[in-house]
Amino acid sequence: MLIENIKLAFNAMRGSKMRTALSLLGIVIGVASVVAILTIGDSASKSITESIAIGGLDMVSIYPSSGQRNTGIFDEAFGDMLRNDIEGIQAVLPQNSSTARVRNGKESINASVAGVLSTYASTLNLEFGEGEFFSSMDNINRRQVIVLGSAIAEELFPDQVVVGQYVSLFRSQAKSYLVVGVLESKDPSISLSYNNSVFIPYNTYSQRFIRTNGVGSYVVKIAEDYDTIEVSDAITEYLDNIVGTDGYSIFSPASLAEMAEQITGTFSSFLALIAAISLLVGGIGIMNIMLVSVAERTKEIGIRKALGASPNVIRGQFLVEALTLTLLGGILGIVLGSLLSYAVTNMLDWSLHLSYTSFILAMGFSMFVGIFFGWYPAMKASRLDPIEALNYE
Amino acid sequence: MAESVIRLEDVSRYYMMGDFIVKALDGVSIDISRGEFTAIMGPSGSGKSTMMNLIGCLDTPTNGYIDIDGENTAGLNEAELAYIRNRKVGFVFQQFNLLGKLTALDNVITPLLYAGVSTRERKQMAVHALERVGLADRMDHRPNELSGGQKQRVAIARALVNNPTILLADEPTGALDTRTGGQIMELFEELNSEGRTVVLVTHDRDLGMRCHRQIHIRDGKVEA
Repeated sequence: MLIENIKLAFNAMRGSKMRTALSLLGIVIGVASVVAILTIGDSASKSITESIAIGGLDMVSIYPSSGQRNTGIFDEAFGDMLRNDIEGIQAVLPQNSSTARVRNGKESINASVAGVLSTYASTLNLEFGEGEFFSSMDNINRRQVIVLGSAIAEELFPDQVVVGQYVSLFRSQAKSYLVVGVLESKDPSISLSYNNSVFIPYNTYSQRFIRTNGVGSYVVKIAEDYDTIEVSDAITEYLDNIVGTDGYSIFSPASLAEMAEQITGTFSSFLALIAAISLLVGGIGIMNIMLVSVAERTKEIGIRKALGASPNVIRGQFLVEALTLTLLGGILGIVLGSLLSYAVTNMLDWSLHLSYTSFILAMGFSMFVGIFFGWYPAMKASRLDPIEALNYE
Repeated sequence: MAESVIRLEDVSRYYMMGDFIVKALDGVSIDISRGEFTAIMGPSGSGKSTMMNLIGCLDTPTNGYIDIDGENTAGLNEAELAYIRNRKVGFVFQQFNLLGKLTALDNVITPLLYAGVSTRERKQMAVHALERVGLADRMDHRPNELSGGQKQRVAIARALVNNPTILLADEPTGALDTRTGGQIMELFEELNSEGRTVVLVTHDRDLGMRCHRQIHIRDGKVEA
C-alpha cells in the first residue's frame, strides 16, 4: 500500500510538474539554507581553530601586570617554580619584548624585538631558513647577536645572504647586531607572528633595554599528553592565589580557539533558526499545493471511495503524497546546500566539513513539515462525501 | 425461495433543499434474490439514482433498513460501509469513472489494493478479470487510449475483480452507441447466466425489458 501510495504521489507530481517544482522550491531553499549555514559555520570554526593551531595549541602565555614587575615574584626563577608546582608543563620561557626599528643602512622596518633564552627555538620547534639560533654562551656573554623573522630579512636584505650581515636596533640608541639566523617563513597566524619578529639573547635585551630583573612575559609550553586548557586553568588558579586576579593576565591559543568555536557555533545556530523559519514558509506552500490537489482530484477521491477506499486509506494516500513532496525537497535541499557550502568554503580557502547533523536535522524537519501541513488537506480529502465527490466535474 | 441479497425495508431518503424537504425515496420495500437480473426503471428525478446509491452503500437512508448479502447496514460507520462497497458491490457507471492516470490493469487492481490482496495475487486476478471481458490485449493502455466500449469493459472488469455479490450498473450503455451498448448488455447477460446478481438502473425501456425483472420507480415510490 505504501509503495502504491508513493507511486501515486509521483504520478500526481508528473501530472503538474511546474506547480510541483514551484512549491518544492520553498522546501528546497529552506533545507539548503539550513544545511549551508550549519556546514559553513562548522567549516569556519574548524578553519579558525586550524589557523590558531599554527600559533601553537600547546602554549600558554602569561603577562604579569605592570604593577607586579618589580615585586620580585615574576623573575627568572618563577618559571622553575611554576614547572615544579604544576603538572603538565614542559618548559617555561621568560621573555621581554617591545617594538623597535631595525635598520640596515637606509632600509628600516618596525619589528617586535624579543629577548629570549637560547632554548626558545628548540622548545617551540622554530625552523630556520638560514643559519641557526644563538647559543647559551651568547646569552651569558650578552653578545649582540640577532635572529630575524623572514619578513624582516626579506625587507632589509632582499635576495641576499643574511647571516653574517649587521643590523642596528634603534630605540634610544643604535647598536649593531650580528645576524646569526633567519627563521623560515610561516603562515601568518592570529596569535604569534614570527615573520615580523626579531630575537636577541635575553640578557642582552635586559642590559640594553630595561635594566631590571623583572620579566615581561612567559611562554609556557605544555607537556605532551596534557590538555592545554586544563593546565591553563591550573596555572590560573595557582596565580590567583599568589598575586590575585589583577596581578597578571593569561592567554592561550587553545582557549581562543574554544571561544571562536563557541561564537561561530552560537552564530550559525541562530542563522539556522532563521533558515528554519523559511522551511515553515515552505511548508505553507506544500499545504497550498495539497489543498489544490485535493480539490482537483475530488472526482478521483469519489471513485476510490466507491471502490472501497476507507477514509483512513484516502488520508494515507494524501499524507504520503505530502511527505514524498517534502522528502524530495529535503534531499534536493541537502544536495544544493552541500554544493553551496562547497562553493563558499572553496572561495574562502577553508576546508569543507559537511555537517551530517544538519542533514538529519533538515530531513527530520522537512518530514515534520510534510506531516504537519499535509494533515489538514488529507483530512479534508478523507471526509469528502462519496456521492458528491463522484458527481463532481 | 431463493436467498435474498438485497433487501430494502420501508426505506426513505429525504434531502433538505433550503426550507423544503425533498422525498427522493419514500417508504420503499424491495427484495432481490441471488442470481436475479433486475432493472430499476423510472424517468429522471424518480429516485432511482438515490436507490442505487443506497444499495451501493454510498449513502445511508433517513429511515428504514437495508440488508446487503444478509448484513444489516444500519448504523455502520464510513469505514465499515467502505468495506461493504469493496467486498460485496461492484459499480459500473454511465461515465465509466476510470482513473485517468492509471493503465487499464492498474484501474482493475485498485479495488484489490483496498481489499489487502498481495501484490502477486492482485496482478493475477486483474489479468483474469480483463481476459473475462475480452481486453487481455489492452491491459497497458490508459483510458484515453481506449474506445468507449473498451472503457466500459475495463470498468466491468474492475467491478468484477473482487468477486462481489452484486453487480450494480447505472445507465451502463448511456454513453455508448447502440451497437456497443448492445455488446455491453450481452456481457451483463452472460455474467448473469454465470450466476451473478445484476442490478441495472436505467430510464431506457428497451434495455429494461431485456432484464428478467423490472422495478418501476416514480416520485420516490415503487409502482405496482
